[in-house]
Parts: sequence; structure tokens; C-alpha cells
Amino acid sequence: MIRRLRTDTVYRIRHILGRCVRHLLLWIAIAFALFPVLWIASASINPTSSLATQRFIPEQVTLDHYRTLFTDPNYPFVTWLLNTLKVSGITAVGAVILCTLAGYSFSRFHFRGRRVGVLAMLLVQMFPQMLAMVAIFLLLRSIGDWVPAFGLNTHLGLIMVYLAGAVGFNTWLIKGYFDTIPRSLEESAMIDGATPFQAFVRIMLPLVRPILAVILIIQFMASYAEFILASVLLRGTDTYTLSVGLRFFTEQAMSRRWGPFAAGAIVGGFVILLLFLPFQRLIVSGLTGGAVKE
Amino acid sequence: MRKTLLVIMLVSLFGVVAAAQTTLTIYADDTRTPILQAIGADFTAATGVAVEVIEFAYNDLRPNFITATQAEEGPDIVIASHDWVGELVANGLVEPMDLGARTADFSSSALEAFTTGNLLYGMPYGTENLTLIYNKEYVPQPPKTWDEVLAIMRALYDPDAPMYGLAFQNTASNFYQFFPFLSAAGGYIFGNDAEGNPDACDVGIANEGAIFGATLYQDMLNEGILPSSVDWDTLNALVAGKNVAMVITGPWLLNAIQDAGWDYGIARIPAIKGPGGAYFQPKVFMGVQGFMISSFSENKALAVDFLLNYIATTDVMAQIANAGNRVPTFIPAIGLASADLAAFSEQAAFGLPMPSIPEMSSIWQEGGNALDLINAGTDPAVALQQAYDLILTAVGCE
Amino acid sequence: MIGLGILDAIAIWAAVGLITSSQYGLLAVLVIGCGLLNGLVLSRRAYPIRYLAPSLIFLFGLVIYPICYTAYVSLTNLQTGNLLSKDRVIQLFEDRYYLPEDTTRFAYSAYLDEADAVILVLEDAVSGDRLMAEAGQIAPFDAEDPRITVDPADQSIEIAGYRRVEGLEIYQIVSRLETLVFPYADRFVRLSTVREFAVYEKQYAYDEATDTMTDLATGIGYAPIDGTFTSADGEELEPGFQVWVGLRHFASLFRNARIRRDFGRVFLWTVIWSVGSVLCSFSLGLGLALLLNDKKLRMRMLYRTLLIVPYVMPVFISALVWRGMFNENFGIINRLFKDWFGFAVEWLDNPMLARGTLIFINVWLSFPYMMLISLGALQSIPEQLYEAARVDGAGMFRRFWKVTLPLLMISLAPLLIGSFAFAFNNFTLIWLVTSGRPAVLGAATPAGATDILISWTYRIAFQGGAGNQYGFASAIAIVIFVLIATISAIGFRFTKRLEEVYK
Repeated sequence: MIRRLRTDTVYRIRHILGRCVRHLLLWIAIAFALFPVLWIASASINPTSSLATQRFIPEQVTLDHYRTLFTDPNYPFVTWLLNTLKVSGITAVGAVILCTLAGYSFSRFHFRGRRVGVLAMLLVQMFPQMLAMVAIFLLLRSIGDWVPAFGLNTHLGLIMVYLAGAVGFNTWLIKGYFDTIPRSLEESAMIDGATPFQAFVRIMLPLVRPILAVILIIQFMASYAEFILASVLLRGTDTYTLSVGLRFFTEQAMSRRWGPFAAGAIVGGFVILLLFLPFQRLIVSGLTGGAVKE
Repeated sequence: MRKTLLVIMLVSLFGVVAAAQTTLTIYADDTRTPILQAIGADFTAATGVAVEVIEFAYNDLRPNFITATQAEEGPDIVIASHDWVGELVANGLVEPMDLGARTADFSSSALEAFTTGNLLYGMPYGTENLTLIYNKEYVPQPPKTWDEVLAIMRALYDPDAPMYGLAFQNTASNFYQFFPFLSAAGGYIFGNDAEGNPDACDVGIANEGAIFGATLYQDMLNEGILPSSVDWDTLNALVAGKNVAMVITGPWLLNAIQDAGWDYGIARIPAIKGPGGAYFQPKVFMGVQGFMISSFSENKALAVDFLLNYIATTDVMAQIANAGNRVPTFIPAIGLASADLAAFSEQAAFGLPMPSIPEMSSIWQEGGNALDLINAGTDPAVALQQAYDLILTAVGCE
Repeated sequence: MIGLGILDAIAIWAAVGLITSSQYGLLAVLVIGCGLLNGLVLSRRAYPIRYLAPSLIFLFGLVIYPICYTAYVSLTNLQTGNLLSKDRVIQLFEDRYYLPEDTTRFAYSAYLDEADAVILVLEDAVSGDRLMAEAGQIAPFDAEDPRITVDPADQSIEIAGYRRVEGLEIYQIVSRLETLVFPYADRFVRLSTVREFAVYEKQYAYDEATDTMTDLATGIGYAPIDGTFTSADGEELEPGFQVWVGLRHFASLFRNARIRRDFGRVFLWTVIWSVGSVLCSFSLGLGLALLLNDKKLRMRMLYRTLLIVPYVMPVFISALVWRGMFNENFGIINRLFKDWFGFAVEWLDNPMLARGTLIFINVWLSFPYMMLISLGALQSIPEQLYEAARVDGAGMFRRFWKVTLPLLMISLAPLLIGSFAFAFNNFTLIWLVTSGRPAVLGAATPAGATDILISWTYRIAFQGGAGNQYGFASAIAIVIFVLIATISAIGFRFTKRLEEVYK
């Protein structure tokens, strides 16, 4: 048993000490988190392009790399950034729509193979996607012959592949969330004359908004960082997404251009961070309901 | 409803027809793309055939070519390295080429590099090989023997500056740079069979000569005068900061060396004294680059025409070779190569084209692993023997 | 209802298109999909599947189909040297022509009529003899032919109903002329360059009845054995083609003593790597979340924002930067170590250290995600539980262990299992930082100290001695999939039991 005999002052000193320790620990963590990022930032303004041996604070500062990013016609960085925002955005929104519908179905309706279905959906996702690339490539090519808008080297095709990969896990998350919301809410709505679908849209959706925000952000980040599939399915520098485009800088045989690469990463990261901020609060509160078990 | 379908069908039909204008598609990397686009524009002006150059990162050229060509989406022409020939021919993806009367315009060793099964599969434009580049500020006269090299390294070594006498890429993925040590006293990759083709079962990276060279390398590492874990970025950094006096590298580093302001000279890799006292000249790999035509191409005659009549001219060949810092393989253009590139050919006389058979990939893999182990301190004989065993297994020659 | 009608109509149109282009696989998919869709909408019992349908379409189309295709490939010999289909290879050989020593070259003029039929007039470069090639046949040039008029002034030829192809237009039809082959005196006349035709010999002839490819020059016959045309002496023709091999890859996988020897080590490391990464990053993330969970903490938002920055940077560049920083001679970390402690550590060259370093890097990459989900889950634990525990006299640690952690695990366990699966297959990070190296003495296959199953597969299948072995790689992929699915399924069962306890 811990005895709680304290005078006021001792308690207050302990309190302040505790707070100082907290701040200290957090700042150590921040140093750990930001050290490489500051390194990248330093590389982006350092005229000599070498990641391994540069000094932390560059001897000379140059904005040339940033200038290259935005003006070099061989490396259409802005196009890449916009492509990424487009692809990731649509994937995230699409994933939310698909998985909400599916999650609702698994949660509310009783049909054969329900439990097995959810588990199967999850496990299927664990296939090492890298090794299925040949199949996906050929599949998209066939689709592209048939409907050119969805074929190889199209953003829609890439979005489709990403969506397919997003379905399993997110459906599970949403299903769990739906499970915690009592059915009485919909039932009362339906008694009042709403169709199941209307009950879904009017009553359930607003309640699950937080988890939708979670899925939105996590899926956006996942699509943004993905580059293996994108580098196989996209070709031609105009359609590249940011990750593939940045990789372009380092895969040239003779000229690893670390400067623009670092600059691109900083700009890309900064943009994402800006997008991320408003959603952050939603995420933190978003996983709340899923854990509450009555 | 029916009308919409009809419209859709008509539009797609139109799309098909519109796409029927003859186009020559080329896959190229960043160095070559601008040149090809310019020549392509000339070709279009002269013949009315469009030329489309699709740019890829160099390391992505081969996998993309293979995937796309298989799927019948591939280009007509691709920029290629000669050691891809084995794999591409085995897959039936490239078309034999006949240069006709122009054959005499190309250096025979370059043509040989692109030949397999007595058929020529590519039109070469440039070769590259390793050699010694030294900074005259620290090394006024190029060393002729390896003993001189060691003396220079010991004299210049300063771990605090840092300053090294010699550096070259020696991380595990750089078996290419490690080969001169193995080859000096008698190591080799594949022996030749009776017909002169590489025999994948005759591997020579674990023989006495190879072990001797590897031991020499490891001794330098252990003494500390040779920096370890040097990859491409590190080498660039050393050159840029003038932290090294000599490098064994290929023409791809020339730009960085010039940018760093070196007063540089180019010489052969110094001879290594073998166990018996005789001096051996290390042999290096030669890489030849050229154009290959896809066997799935529907415009083969046009492609050959483009290559022979628009690319294979003195000016263009010189331009392409110089852009990539390669020694031209087009004989009339050799005179237009810079003096530096000509200096590389001194060592090239002691060069052998990288074998292009698919079994080569296990050499890179296991050779790299052996280098890794040697870097970590394993006995070179043991490491090379393991590589030898694994290569034979991988290749299927138990 | 109307929507369904439109969809059905489009489906029928697409089906016709697929039939004409012989895409039977896709056709089957379309028919099944359409049938199911109709069934869904029209039957009442299948109502729930309406909601599921869009997801299922994507799932089946782009996840399950590739898995099935990979399974199919694992039963074939798809690899370097056997990439193409048999028909394509036969066509390749049949299209092999070579110029014999005594070939004849012809300059040519082409003539097109309105229906785009082509007539060629060939002129022997040496002898000046003329030939006319029409509709797949060659005949000597007959000036008496009523359609032909020869202009006596410049010997140019006009053919009634046809217009001569002039100048640049030749380039537009060259590709078409390339496909023409005319039998001529036991040999063949084909397009040689843009300006010439020449006489060629055919190199191979394929006999469908006996399924043999014969080399016309030597007379040797090659029979298709195991995906390659092989002669009686064992000489093989390149390229080969894809054939069905059944379970051969799986058999060789399980029987291969070398692979078995390395498998245990690689598998063990893969599991340790996944579990280690998840545990360590979760601990760090949870720890930070606990620190940040205090509403009274100042600058909370700032801390949170700064701490998620690693999550926001692309993996690609983060991995490369860390690799540079851990470079033994020149990386910043060793430089600092040398300054402060006087020695350098071979972070990525020593097997054990390399493994630790990799986990360290992965923790850096994943802890923000763990922190965020922990924050969310923490805030869902009702205050009353803490109050009750405090009243009962439980201290900080007790409270954490008995109240916080179990409730957290219920909501977070599925996410953690997901992270585990992701780390299990995380090819990207391993490849970028160490490529599986450092090498291990005594390895029987190319398996380095930090190779996980998937990077090991890549090395064996794509960097081994026989080019790219897609069939073999697919077999290994299936095996990996079965492994990870089994482990995860067990994990899910376990969390279900956890849930029961706390319900």
C-alpha cells in the first residue's frame, strides 16, 4: 500500500518535478524523431550532394535544389505532388465509402459466412503484394485494353489497385466501431418509417464520423508512401506520384541527386503535415467509441 | 440508350484509328533522352514517322523493358547494356540486327559484346571500364606498381582529416570494382568452352590467383589505409572534399572530379606483384552500351533505318558517347572523344567484356556476399570458396 | 431497376468485345460478376450483399485474382528463358529468316489501290531484272500485262487502278511491308531495309502434326521437352516457352536441403523482426501517449505535431537517410561516437548489430502511428475505472497494468496484428537499408543476416543463377502467405478470447 502522507509543498514540488521530467522526456523523443528530418532539411540546402558525409550545418547555403524542383522540366515536381494528392485523396475517400458500406453490412446483417468472411477478408490482405506484381500488371493491361481509362499508366487504374488493398483491414476497423453502437437507434428509426438505407445514412453515418476520419487519414498516408506498385504501373514522368518521382532522382545510374531529392521530401512532407493537422484531433478522438464495451 | 452505346463504340473506334500513325518508340534514360528526342525530331521531319522517347531511370530500363515487351506494350528500341543480351535473348525479346556494310564502322570488340550464338543483337555506342584516376596535387606521377601505391597510401593516410591515398567502392554490391584484384594473378569469372562461349560451370573466382588478390585487399583494409564501407555516395563525398588522392573508378565519376577541381590524371591500374614475383596487370570488366531492337516490334525496318542512318553518324555518336562519358565504339567518332576518355582505353586493353549469360547474376550475388565476408574479416580463401560452391549450385552444375 | 438494366446492356456489349478479342478469362469474370449482381439486386435474401458488393468487386478483382494468378504461375515454369507462350515462340522461330551468301537485293516501288491492296515492283540491283509481287505471289515482270504502262522516257511504271507510293509515304507503309513474305524459287523475298527487298532463307520449319521444329539448314529436329525445343542430342533452342509443371516448385522447395537449412534462420529472424518492431514501437508510442494524455500539459498540440513528423516523411527517403547516418566510416553517428567515445561501431556490418539497427529504424518509422492509436484508445477508457482503482488503493503501476493495458489491448490488438503482418512482409525497409546483408558464412543459399522471408525469396528467385524465376518465386510466395495467414489467424483467435474475458 502506498501511503499518502504528504504536506502541501512536498506534493507541489513533486508535481512540478514530475511535469519537468515529462517535458524533458518529450523533448528527448522529439529530438529522436526530428534528427533525421533536420538532416534531410540540411541536405536540401547544402550545395554538395552527399548524404553520408555532410556536416550538420552546411558551410554554404543554397536554394538551388528547391529551384530545381520547381523549374526543371525533366522533373515535374509540382505535377508529381498534385498527382499524389489526387491519387491518395481519391483512394482515401473511396476506401471510406467502400469500407463503411461493407463494415455496416458485416456488423448489422446476419448472413451465412459472415464471421468467416471478415476473417478471410483480413487474411487475404496479407499476401506479399510485391510478388503478385506481375499478376496485377497483366491484369491492368487487360483491363486497359478493354477500358483504356483504367489501364496501365493511368491514375484510375492505380487507385483501383490501392482500393483493393485497403478494403480488408479498414472494413474490420469500421465493423468493430459499428458493433459498439446499439441497434436500438436504427430500429427506432425504422419503426418511424425509414428504410434501412435511410437509417444507415441519416443515423449511423454521423455517429461514426470519427472513425471515418481515421480511415481517411491512415489510408491517405498509406497511398502516399507506396511506391513499389506505383513504379510498376506508372510510366512516363508526367504520371508519377511523389514517391516514385523522388525515387527517380536516386535511380539514375550516374547522378544520385541528393539535393533535389531531399528538397522534394521536405516539401512533400510539409504539405502532408499541413493536411494532417486538422484531422489529427479527429483521429485521436476517433478510436474512442471502438473500445467502449457496454 | 442505344445511341449512347453507338457513340461510345464510334469514339473508341476512332481512337483506334487515330492511334494508327506510325510511331517509333524508344526507352531511354535521362542522359540519352534529350539527344534522342532531338534526333527523333530530325527523323520525323525527314520521314514523317513520329518518334516517342520514354524516359526511365537507368536501373529501371531493363525490368520495364522485359515486362512491357512481354505484355506487347514494349518499345521498338531500347538503350541497353551488353550484359543484358544473355537474358533478353533467352527470353526471345530482342531481334538480331544486321549492320550490313556499316559493320566496319564499329569496333569489333564492342560488336562481339553484343553477339551471342553468332548473331548480333545490338548497335553499340560506347564502352566504359575502370581505371586509375589520380590527383596530381598529391600524386605527381602515376604509380606503376602496387608497391608504389601502398607507399603512397601509407604516406598520405590521416584518419582525422580524413585523408586516404586510395579509395574505391567496396561495399557488398560492388563486386564489379573488386574484380581487378581477383583477376590480377589469375582469377577469372567463366572459362570458355570449346566453341569460345562462356562455360557457366567453369568458375574461376576461388582459384589461387583470386585468393592472392583478395588477401592483398584484405591486408590493406586491416592496416586501415584503405577506407571500408565506401559506397557511391561516400566515394563522391571523398572526391568532392579532396579527401582521397587516387580512385579506381569509371568515367562516370569524371564530372564529379572535375567539379571538385582536381588536377587529375588518368592511368592504368598499377601492376600487382604476384606470389612468384612477376608483375600482373589487373584486368577490368568492360561494359558496352548500345541500342537493341525488340523482337515484338512492328517497325523493325524503320528502327534499323533510324539507327543506321540517323544515329550512326560521327556527330551523333560522338555526342551520345560524350554525354555519358563513354568511349565511343563508332570508329570515326573516336577521334572526337575527349582526351580523358581516350586515356581510359589504356586500361581497356586489359579488359574483358562482362559475360552476358543469365548465370552472371549469381556471380554478382555470391561475389558480393564474398566481398561482404572479406570486409568483415573472414579468411578470403573461405569466403571465395563459399561463393564458388553457391554459384555452382545456383547455376546447376553440381 | 433502371440502373441494373443499363449495367446489363453494357455488360453484353463488353462481352461481345471480349469474345472477339479472345479474352476468355476476363469474359468469365464478367459473366460471373454480372450474374451475381443480378442475383443480388433481384433477390431479397441477398440484401446485405448490396452493401458488400462494391468492396467485394475490388477485393475479388484486384486482390484475390492476383493471388489465384500467382498460384497458377507457381504451377508453371515461368522464368527467364520460358517467358513466352508456346505459340508465340513457334511464331518467333518461323519468322527467323537469314540472308544467304548468294542473296539478291531488289530496289522496289510500291503501288496502292483504293482498297489498300499493294503491288510491288522489284528490280534486281545487279541484273536489272524486274519482278512483280502481288497478293502473296511473285511473278516475273510482264510488260505486256494490260494494266501496266511503262513510260518510255524514264522507264517509270504505272499500274491501272493503283497509285504509286511516293517519297515520304513509304515510311508510313514500311511497317506493313515488313509483314509480307513472298515465296520465290524455294526461298523467300522479304523487306530487308527501308529501301530494299532481299532474298532470304528460312531457318526453321514447324510441323504441327509431329510437334517438331526442324532446323532447315542442318536438318536436326527439335521436340518440345519441358518448355524448350530440344534435339535428340540435348541441344536446346532459345527461347523456351511456358509450360505447366505442376507441383514441381513446391517439391523442390521442400526437398531442397539448402533451403531447408537456411529457412529456419530466416524465418526466426522474420518473426523476431516483426514482433520486435511492433513491441518496441508500440511501447514507445504508448509511453509517449501516456505522457501526452494529460490535458493540463502545456504545448500538448505542439508536441503531438512534432512527434508525428516521422510518419509524414516518405519511407523511401527516411530509410536512405538512416542508412547514410549509420555508415561505418563517414556516417554522422559514428563520427559522433568517435568524438565522444573514441571508437566506431559497425552498425550495419555486424550481423547482430545490423538486426538491432533495423529494428531501431523501424521503431522510428512506426512509433508515431502507435502513439496516435494509443492516444485514441487511452481516451476511451472511462475515468470512473481509474477512480475506482485509486480508491481501492492501487498505485500508478498497478493501475496501468490491471486497468489500462487490458482495455487498450482489446481495441488495439487487431491493429497490432495488422502491423505485425505489415512488418512481416516489409520488403522495402530491409532492402533499402541493408538488402539483407551482411552475408553469413556457412549460408547455403543467398540469405544474409538481415534477410526476411520476402527479401530472401527475392534474392533466390530473381538474383540467383538462372535469371528471374517467377514460377519458383510464386511458389515461395504462396508458402509465405500460408505461414503469415496461419500466424495471424491464431493471433485473431487469441484476441477474441481476450474480448470474451473482458466482456
